[in-house]
Amino acid sequence: MPLLPLPWALSVAVAAQASPPAPELVDHAHLSSEIAAIAAAHPDLVQRNKLGESRSGRALEVLRITGPAPEKDGKRPALLLVANLDGPRVFASAVALQHARALADGYATNEAVKALLDSTVVYVVPRANPDAAEARFLTPRQEQHASGTGVDDDRDGRAGEDAPADLDGDGVVAWLRVKDPDGEWREDPTDPRALVKADRNKGEAGVYVLWPEGRDADGDEKVAEDAPLDARVDKNFAAGWEQHTPSAGLFPTDEPETRALCDFVLGHPELALVLVYDAQDSLVGEVKSVGDDAPAVKRVPPEGVLESDAKLLGELARRYKKATESTAKGEGGERGTFSRWCYEQRGLFTLSATLWDIPLEEKKKEEKKDEPAKDAAAGAEKPGEAPPPAAAEKPAADEKKPEAAEMKPEAAEMKEEPKEAEPKPEGEAGEKKGDKDDKKGGKKDDEPKPSDDAKRLKWIDGAGAEEAWRFRPWTAFQHPELGPVEIGGLTPYARLEPPAGEGATIAQKHFEFLLTLGALLPRVRVSECTRETLGQGVIRVTAVVQNDSFLPLLSRSARRTDTVRPAKVRLVLPAAGKLLGGNVQELLSELPGSGGRKEYKWLVQGPDAMELGVAVETDHAGVAFQKAEVKP
Amino acid sequence: MLVPSLAALALALPQQEPKALAGFPGLAAGRAPQVEIAWNRLYDWDQLYAHMDRLAARWPQLLTMQVIGHSVENREMRVYTLNNPATGKDGEKPGMWVDGNIHGNEVQGGEAVVYLAWYLLENYGSNERVTELVDGNAFYLLPMVNIDGRAHWFAGPHDASSSRTGVMPIDDDHDGLFDEDPPDDLDGDGNITRMRKRVPGEGTHRLDPDDPRLMVPVPQNDKGIRGDWIFVGEEGIDNDGDGRVNEDEVGGYDMNRSWPALWQPEHVQFGAGPYPLYWPETRAIARFILAHPNLAAVQSFHNSGGMILRGPGAEIYGEYPQQDLRVYDEIGKDGEKMLPFYRYMIIWKDLYSVFGGFVNWTYEGLGIFSFTNELWADEQNSPDKRVTDDQAGRLFLDDHLLMGAGYVDWHAYEHPLFGPVEIGGFAKDVGRVPPSFLEEEMLHRNALFCVRHAEAMPRVAVREPVVTDLGGGVKAIDVIVANEHLISTRSAVAREKKIGSPDVIELSGSGIEVLAGGFRQDRFRPERIQLQERDPARLLREAGLGPREELRVRWIVRGSGAATIRVRAEKARAAERSIQVP
Repeated sequence: MPLLPLPWALSVAVAAQASPPAPELVDHAHLSSEIAAIAAAHPDLVQRNKLGESRSGRALEVLRITGPAPEKDGKRPALLLVANLDGPRVFASAVALQHARALADGYATNEAVKALLDSTVVYVVPRANPDAAEARFLTPRQEQHASGTGVDDDRDGRAGEDAPADLDGDGVVAWLRVKDPDGEWREDPTDPRALVKADRNKGEAGVYVLWPEGRDADGDEKVAEDAPLDARVDKNFAAGWEQHTPSAGLFPTDEPETRALCDFVLGHPELALVLVYDAQDSLVGEVKSVGDDAPAVKRVPPEGVLESDAKLLGELARRYKKATESTAKGEGGERGTFSRWCYEQRGLFTLSATLWDIPLEEKKKEEKKDEPAKDAAAGAEKPGEAPPPAAAEKPAADEKKPEAAEMKPEAAEMKEEPKEAEPKPEGEAGEKKGDKDDKKGGKKDDEPKPSDDAKRLKWIDGAGAEEAWRFRPWTAFQHPELGPVEIGGLTPYARLEPPAGEGATIAQKHFEFLLTLGALLPRVRVSECTRETLGQGVIRVTAVVQNDSFLPLLSRSARRTDTVRPAKVRLVLPAAGKLLGGNVQELLSELPGSGGRKEYKWLVQGPDAMELGVAVETDHAGVAFQKAEVKP
Repeated sequence: MLVPSLAALALALPQQEPKALAGFPGLAAGRAPQVEIAWNRLYDWDQLYAHMDRLAARWPQLLTMQVIGHSVENREMRVYTLNNPATGKDGEKPGMWVDGNIHGNEVQGGEAVVYLAWYLLENYGSNERVTELVDGNAFYLLPMVNIDGRAHWFAGPHDASSSRTGVMPIDDDHDGLFDEDPPDDLDGDGNITRMRKRVPGEGTHRLDPDDPRLMVPVPQNDKGIRGDWIFVGEEGIDNDGDGRVNEDEVGGYDMNRSWPALWQPEHVQFGAGPYPLYWPETRAIARFILAHPNLAAVQSFHNSGGMILRGPGAEIYGEYPQQDLRVYDEIGKDGEKMLPFYRYMIIWKDLYSVFGGFVNWTYEGLGIFSFTNELWADEQNSPDKRVTDDQAGRLFLDDHLLMGAGYVDWHAYEHPLFGPVEIGGFAKDVGRVPPSFLEEEMLHRNALFCVRHAEAMPRVAVREPVVTDLGGGVKAIDVIVANEHLISTRSAVAREKKIGSPDVIELSGSGIEVLAGGFRQDRFRPERIQLQERDPARLLREAGLGPREELRVRWIVRGSGAATIRVRAEKARAAERSIQVP
């Protein structure tokens, strides 16, 4: 391989050691047997446990992966990876499963894996929502978010009588658009396949009503508005839970999957970091933060990540983006989610990644050069990949664009887009991106800008025949109740599953990022422990408790919620000794990372020969003990 | 003069046998209950269940029991259903849920629930209004929500406020140990009282010269007055050697912060637990309540303070809708009249903000009109200002009405840390529970407040329909559908938040074709009508029937023959009427 550039040679060497295959999407039965196989292949490293059961009785499984003899060095801090809380995120589940396999398989051969597993326990929950995920493997294909309690959504006295369905028999539940003067949607002028919300303030009139593909079974002129199931596992957690909202469930933790995950977190005080592969993102887009001491409003604390934590998480986000090059921002929202509960109510540092979405911008030219070579060496083929289209678009100068309000309403995938920066002419790569309201002299601001969906369609167009499945052209259809309609739109899973060739790369990069996380977890040690005889059998003991890892002992959130046990610092005094000054036991909550220190002093009385020491005990940052040595 | 003898008179009048006095409605002469229960006592958990079982044994048709779950210590959570099956299933009638004792020390709520059951059963059949109430409605009674806490309060050393919590072990002081430092009954008298220490010249308190049991704070001035006494805390020792006394008791949470309405975690709302309905007792109750959409009224008994409480529990909720406040205010104000010294209050405003409270969930989450009564107002001890609001006054009443039994006089104890101290204070059954001789009054008045609340539950009637010939074979059927009671079939919050199912008012008849139908908005102008577009024979009413509302319904039909108008509401017995359409 000497003909390749040197950095590439190194990465090839690593790749040869631990090159994972593309993550495979598997149904529940196969997932269970994969999990069993991993545990069976490495009984010294892997334990397979059941968290609970889904509503339909499918097992929720967790893999506990750590190096041998974890009790030898006291408690090992733990890291939790949870994937696929939102039903359709089966790709995330596949990546998490692959991480588990790569950890177990890699312990013997990969230094970084060994270092992680010898110091940390990694828990992996590959699929938190097996019931809804199973829809991925059924025909017709549809995205199934709900798995729990259904209600009478349209208030007509019948529950669940009008669900989405595959009307035209093409095996896919897509979208219906109907010409209707009451419609809110119109064609995107830059690409009529995409729909945008009409804005009356701009003189735009709506043309279409948009529905999920289905019948109007109950004749109420609404299509597919009352599916049998409503409650979603990923919206049923207590933080930010929405009352009177069918998708959020009857009450927080009513959904058994939600409760099982909560009980798992509660039952594992050794957890120090949570990583979530699902619909939320805290690593690519901007995260809303709030002052550490921002006042409560009528006793309710304001929403957002506390500023002190946001700074640390921001650094991790920077590292994540560098390692994975992900641009997927996620649109999950944070009402009733697992990640929000873990951070806001359990005080755990939580990282959320959506892994992949159809890109809105083309990749930078430099990246495009590297990619084909990397993929070839990893053994993954990219059949049918179109050569990068001529750069009519500028490179994405707006990587750090503040996350625009792109919340999609439950029913519709086509969404209203904020105004994007106008495509810049070639060669002006260095031009500063203007914001929405910027009216630079000479810019044509009444030229329509492409919506996000139009950009996605552009990507699909350029991605080759293999990716054409992601969009179904609007096709005329005679609807039994509504008459002439068109069926089409972005298809289920179109924005969730990367092209075949990219999956392996995404998994590999995320695995490498995962391997760096163990070193970040807080770990206590007694960095100094000295004794000084002041005379007459009176001895002063001084000790310093230190944390050299990136993360502090407790997040600012945990210092507020009191849900992570502080470190217990104890003077170890023999029976012959007597405490003259100081507390025999101290609880330490505030210990910053990157060398944070806290000093303690005690005054004791006793024979000079007596052994003295200081012990530190935690649930999630290890334990430490140091004998007091005479001060030099 | 001839004086007719009384005997002769007596012979002339028809002889009236004195009517046997049945029931025990609250009159003291000439009656005896069928099941004797002493109401001047508080009962341990198993004795209270035993009383309910006696009632069920005496009235098996009307009172049945089911186990809905188990407490942390595996005691049965029992719901007793009071219903007359001869007039219909319980689920087909408006239901009232009554519970008590969610705080383990607030024990008299348990007796209040049992009293209510006893009263209704004792007077069923002999008292017309009780009979009508029981025949038309269902009651779901769970006497002891925190049955473990109650058991601990009776069995172990406590004060009036302790054992509020359930008994799942909680690490209150975050030291990795659970429940390792509770209060200690150092003198073995079954009460947790206070400790004081004599420190001549260095104290914060002096003894009251008129009564050495009383400690008076030293005045804060520059006159050099010194006290001889300090308080050294609640009876107990530092069990875990961490320098703090009594900082990690058994349990350490509040089940009445567990309910899923504006629930907030521990750092915002003390005692809430890690997620809503975490405790098995609360989850079992929640599931039962969710499975009974016929519930139209809720009472949850607490102590103390003499209050009739409604939500909002948290200020951030805002205010309840006006139409619902009309219902609350009428019942609340009647309560004030029935319960001397009790005040009708708003929880967050007049008491303190609470997140995750039970009656806040049952109303804000489920649309059920709900009260919490805080049983026992101190003022009931005496309205005489000479003995109220004053420690000396309390001691006076205890000395003379309880012969000193409620107060543990100060006595010496050698404390491992503080040295010589004195232990003393009020017993656990003083202050928040009434003295025995005032207990039955408290139970009776509060049970009858439940009856007042229950009598307000919806009762729907279909009045006589009127058929009008509109010509061309088309007829109009006008009918008034009425809720004869105060409580709406659907509260305004239920309508706003789309809780439960809309009421259904339907017309059916094999020879009748319904062309249009809806709710009339004008008594005199029939064309002013809110027509339902689809399926007009089956009118859906999200708003239900409001307080004492008379709703005018009109259908425009073709055809003739027998027809039935039927009203179905989740929280009312179905009502119907048949007509002949000519």
